[in-house]
Amino acid sequence: MAKADKYWAIFRTQLRNSFAYPMDILGRSIIIVLFMWIFMNLWRVTYGVMGTRAIAGLTLQDTMWYLLMAEAVMLSKQDPSQTISEQVKDGSVIYLLNKPFNFILYQAAAGLGDSVLAFCGNILMGGTIVWLLVGPPPGVVGWVFAALAVAMAWLLDFCFAALIGLSAFVVEDSQAFRWIYQKFLLVLGGLLLPLDFFPQWLQQISLTLPFAWIIFGPARLFVDPSLSRLGDVLLQQGIWLLALSGIVWLFYRWAMARLVINGG
Amino acid sequence: MVLFVRDGSMSAILVRNLCKTFQMKRKAAGLRASLAALWRPGVQGVDAVRRISFAMEGEELLGFIGPNGAGKSTTIKILTGILHPTSGEASVLGHVPWQERQKLAFHIGSVFGQRPQLWYHLPAMDTFYLFGKIYELEDTALRRRIGFLAEAFEIEELLETPVRKLSLGQRMRCEVAASLLHRPRILLLDEPSIGLDVVAKQRLRETVRRMNEHEGVGVLLTSHDPGDIEALCKRVIIVNHGQIVYQDKVSTLKRRYLTVKYVDVRYSEDLGAGFTLPGVEMLKVGRFGAKLRFDVRTTPVEQVLSGLASAGNLIDVTVSDPSLEDVIRTIYARGEVENG
Repeated sequence: MAKADKYWAIFRTQLRNSFAYPMDILGRSIIIVLFMWIFMNLWRVTYGVMGTRAIAGLTLQDTMWYLLMAEAVMLSKQDPSQTISEQVKDGSVIYLLNKPFNFILYQAAAGLGDSVLAFCGNILMGGTIVWLLVGPPPGVVGWVFAALAVAMAWLLDFCFAALIGLSAFVVEDSQAFRWIYQKFLLVLGGLLLPLDFFPQWLQQISLTLPFAWIIFGPARLFVDPSLSRLGDVLLQQGIWLLALSGIVWLFYRWAMARLVINGG
Repeated sequence: MVLFVRDGSMSAILVRNLCKTFQMKRKAAGLRASLAALWRPGVQGVDAVRRISFAMEGEELLGFIGPNGAGKSTTIKILTGILHPTSGEASVLGHVPWQERQKLAFHIGSVFGQRPQLWYHLPAMDTFYLFGKIYELEDTALRRRIGFLAEAFEIEELLETPVRKLSLGQRMRCEVAASLLHRPRILLLDEPSIGLDVVAKQRLRETVRRMNEHEGVGVLLTSHDPGDIEALCKRVIIVNHGQIVYQDKVSTLKRRYLTVKYVDVRYSEDLGAGFTLPGVEMLKVGRFGAKLRFDVRTTPVEQVLSGLASAGNLIDVTVSDPSLEDVIRTIYARGEVENG
């Protein structure tokens, strides 16, 4: 119990730390308002040109709420890969490695603590503009289902970020890996547009990869909150989470033996 | 206190033939070399720690000093289990650090002076409570412990202030207090006084000494300031280029190598030409000041100071010890480098 308690304490401390600069959180959320306004103009023209009410089963209203959730997940997820990389570069990682907790679980708890407030800010600011532009969001069920899937998505994303971050133990600068991962999320994860709009073959490939379950899964569930879809999303996320967390653990043990810390 | 017993010795820390070699990338200057490095990156082994052996007893105040890049911090990181050594053995309170890092963490505390462990935007109290959870302390015991440390370190008034608003001296006292929350048996202090002014240094030294006396916590202190070691430690180990060059009592070190004093003196009036003092080597003499050196074994400090006072209207006098580099140079010059 005491062992789980420490990660809960880390989560709460990180959350409290985020409150140190509330205006900063709100300020950063402004970007989602701009994104939503640009998306609205793009997709209104697209739907208009195509002269259809729905594309691949999604109305303009669905698409906008999908994009809001996708952007909110993306913009509020923390980047432990960068944090770990910086901690290795500036040497502060030593304080995290000489404490009686699991370094990986520490990063996960701190990352989640950081994400929660940013996510609320993004949903609040972005949701307001989307509501004004296309009407109300899906019902309460969508929010509840999405909340579950978003928490799982952050953990899944954390596994990727941890792998990239841990590579800093060996290569010091992991920026190139981070850049590639972000592009995967952008295209194959469904951040740029819902995977429903892809040709069938590309859709199949994307859904077989884990990136879709970080962005597309929760966002699509939000606009179409059925129990069968919830089960499918959580199952896919669970499978990938299990596989990736195993890889993270093995990589962590391997990287620890090769750690080089900068500074005297 | 449970001590590690091996070969009849009772040591809280035992290190034998410890070596750490880092693989550093090397690349010549220029575009051609950069392209070549892409194909075949050059790697060179750098020996940070070379066959270091020493022991530290449970309640000892041991100084571990050396110039920048000597291997002090690398040794400490190996002893906390953060770094794996290339070869050699080490045991801290009976644990092999790099194999039992988390178990060992419950019994040691550490402060790395150049890096904060307190959460920067939160009051120190928040970090104290977080550490309480991390070290699995019971709530009532934690509150009592915080109260005790707050009084001992005179930080009661500082605990509710965000760490970013504290001075460096105040922050360091909070840092050391945080590292003692879980009653560690060994405290590893890596350059705790770096950047502190004279008063803050003095306060920190006094508190560390008190904790050693009252709680019996052993302290392994690294510093490149001989003053820290003189004020706190009974025994000292000097490392240079990854090797131990000297280990003995601090009093012996002082007697043998810290006998020379340097003095910087400034006057409000012109000293005139040919200013000298008997038994003192004048390193530099200007119109309003001088820099000089003398050996306390042949020239008493009082004699020098009274000579300086009678030479004119003094504005400022600074007396300092030789730098660590000078001490090491003397050890090498006298051929007194420890082997192994």
